[in-house]
Amino acid sequence: MWAYQKRLQYPVNIKKKDLRMAKLLVTQYGGSNGELAAALRYLNQRYTMPDNKGKALLTDIGTEELAHIEMISTMVYQLMKDATLEEIEAAGLDSHYAEHNKALYPTDANGVPFTVTYFATTGDPLADISEDMAAEQKARAVYENLIDLTDDPDVIGPLLWLRQREVVHYNRFKELFDYYQEKLNPKQQMIDNKMVSDNNNNVNNFMNEVENNFNPISDFLNNFTQKM
Amino acid sequence: MYNYNNYLQNDYVRNTTPNSMMNNNQPNLYTPQEGYDKGNLFANLYQPYKNYQPPTLKSRTEKGKLFLELSRYAFAAHELNLYLDIHPDDATMLALFNDYRVRANNLMMEYEKKYGPLTVSSDDLSSSFLWEKEEWPWEGGAN
Repeated sequence: MWAYQKRLQYPVNIKKKDLRMAKLLVTQYGGSNGELAAALRYLNQRYTMPDNKGKALLTDIGTEELAHIEMISTMVYQLMKDATLEEIEAAGLDSHYAEHNKALYPTDANGVPFTVTYFATTGDPLADISEDMAAEQKARAVYENLIDLTDDPDVIGPLLWLRQREVVHYNRFKELFDYYQEKLNPKQQMIDNKMVSDNNNNVNNFMNEVENNFNPISDFLNNFTQKM
Repeated sequence: MYNYNNYLQNDYVRNTTPNSMMNNNQPNLYTPQEGYDKGNLFANLYQPYKNYQPPTLKSRTEKGKLFLELSRYAFAAHELNLYLDIHPDDATMLALFNDYRVRANNLMMEYEKKYGPLTVSSDDLSSSFLWEKEEWPWEGGAN
């Protein structure tokens, strides 16, 4: 079960209404890479994890995502709450108003309602955790797009903070993925490590080759500039 | 001669390589205050975006200061919680988790005693049902 704490995980105090930003920001509530999809994805996947590490991490990150839903919802609510009907119409949110007035409703930035097809459960821990890693990367990218689209520091602060959480979660999922890969599929792990070391060797060989080949050219250029 | 090493070390390349979000496996922690401002307790994982600097959170009121301190320690304990989920045998991190967890719990009790309940299981609901009277987080309450 869950217990609610009457506090935001990170403070949100937006003083300036901005309907355009509310319309865009709602995608991190109800869009494909949003916090609602993240929370349900992790909390839904955790039952079939092969051991307690996976069950614990998906439960704890899934629970944190519920707190992020509350932060994003608070941001959308505060950006909209003082808007007049004229401003709502001008911002193209009259279609939202027709159905929901100023109530929260999970959609993406184009008004497409949330759907559970935004997340998958395969029952395969490697497939599920790699989906989670991708989800964290996509959410990070969307936060960056949203930060690019505003200049209000009251909005940028929480968005930077939420973006950083995606970075941390990605790394935790990556650690879990590597651990399961080794545990469930040690042969594949060896192949992957070999590929990485081969790639590193290839890069080093390539760089040496480039340096050797470019030496004569740079010598020539040095001579050329000296003569000028 | 063109120095390719410099090219590979330049920030653009580092920030756009797919590995830029990867853990270097060397936990190196910020203080709860700096970690909370940044949204990341693990300095080895911290990835800034462009030139944006996270704001330094402050409060002028006693209530706000206590709330901020609670938020910092609760966040730091949560970060170590996620780490310990995958590294349960790390005794150093477990000791730090317990330190931050106890501080967060004590700050929570102190806050609830002075300013009203943050959870409905709080002891401070015994004389009057303050749960319903306190402001909600999206209305700027306890924030």
